[in-house]
Amino acid sequence: MLLRGSGTAGPWGWLTLLLVACTARASEITFELPDNAKQCFYEEIVQGTKCTLEFQVITGGHYDVDCRLEGPDGAVLYKEMKKQYDSFTFTASRNGTYKFCFSNEFSTFTHKTVYFDFQVGEDPPLFPSENRATALTQMESACVSIHEALKSVIDYQTHFRLREAQGRSRAEDLNTRVAYWSIGEAIILLVVSIGQVFLLKSFFSDKRTTTTRVGS
Amino acid sequence: MAGGREVRAVLVALVLLAWSAHGLYFHIGETEKRCFIEEIPDETMVIGNYRTQLWDKQSESFLPSTPGLGMHVEVKDPDGKVVLSRQYGSEGRFTFTSHTPGEHQICLHSNSTRMALFAGGKLRVHLDIQVGEHTNNYPEIAAKDKLTELQLRARQLLDQVEQIQKEQNYQRVRRRRRKAPGRYREERFRMTSESTNQRVLWWSIAQTIILILTGIWQMRHLKSFFEAKKLV
Repeated sequence: MLLRGSGTAGPWGWLTLLLVACTARASEITFELPDNAKQCFYEEIVQGTKCTLEFQVITGGHYDVDCRLEGPDGAVLYKEMKKQYDSFTFTASRNGTYKFCFSNEFSTFTHKTVYFDFQVGEDPPLFPSENRATALTQMESACVSIHEALKSVIDYQTHFRLREAQGRSRAEDLNTRVAYWSIGEAIILLVVSIGQVFLLKSFFSDKRTTTTRVGS
Repeated sequence: MAGGREVRAVLVALVLLAWSAHGLYFHIGETEKRCFIEEIPDETMVIGNYRTQLWDKQSESFLPSTPGLGMHVEVKDPDGKVVLSRQYGSEGRFTFTSHTPGEHQICLHSNSTRMALFAGGKLRVHLDIQVGEHTNNYPEIAAKDKLTELQLRARQLLDQVEQIQKEQNYQRVRRRRRKAPGRYREERFRMTSESTNQRVLWWSIAQTIILILTGIWQMRHLKSFFEAKKLV
């Protein structure tokens, strides 16, 4: 937008590029969402920045959460109910404060642990003078591509770790449920079998009195 | 007027930049405690930067900075032991290095003595947590060790690979430590599954025994009952 007025990237263009580079950041946060709670996060974004919001529920209940992303004027950009994992990319159409909320209001007694990764803009380059006219040497461009590949490896590792945490949480849930169920089942079995016997006995005691009365 | 629009857009962006020095923010109540979990391998550095702003009822906005406002930061390691417990000012930076791999919990709550200020009850906290190789400040490292561009890039790649290795070790567990086994993840996962298996096995055996015993008891009891009633 700012480069439109001038034929080449004027001073304003470079300033914007610098600003966009400065505001580039990624926030990765794992937090606990109590039951019937809603937690919101805000970030100020410059127009034209490409942003990505990714979230995953790690522990709790059915491992799902409501997510809602709103723009500065209140326009809903993304709204999903009871999602376990999702990734949403958008380009900021206006300057302002963007808000995203995670809601656990549908759940009565389960806490949820939610992880989200909000990436604003591209990662800043290693050297501030990256926008130079000279091209990178072969070694340097090889380093850049290795760096990008390693970043995606780290990203996959994070997803694997979260999925493993989720699996482990489910396994531990199953374990406790099996323990409670087996104890409960044993108690019910004993109660029912003893109760049946006494109930039968009570049937025969009544009949006995009626037959004696008839007999006499 | 295109030039004017450009100028305005850049000025807005500049203002936003000045305010968003710490990026993501959220609101917290007076006595509210917010906890964040970081699952990290051992010997990993974590740096957290925060900035707080107090809600001013009179001007209906957040004050730029409030001296006297404090935040208490508490970090617990996976065993529940407190690693860091310190009071910082309204703006602060906390650092810790993990010595055991696992889930570390970082808790923040405001700890201001001047409770009268909290009439509005809202506090805006800007937070930025960097973990592992993101904590490295490469221009600083380049200046300190006097590295060329290529050497700095190689250093960055080395740091990244080291982080990947640590994470993989944390996931898999090759060596056993002297502390309780099953502290690491995959082992714990396996032990949980095995424990479930054991419990299901014991439960089915116990259930069968209980069934047989109650059946025998029922028959004997009823038989003696009917014999007493002279029905059999």
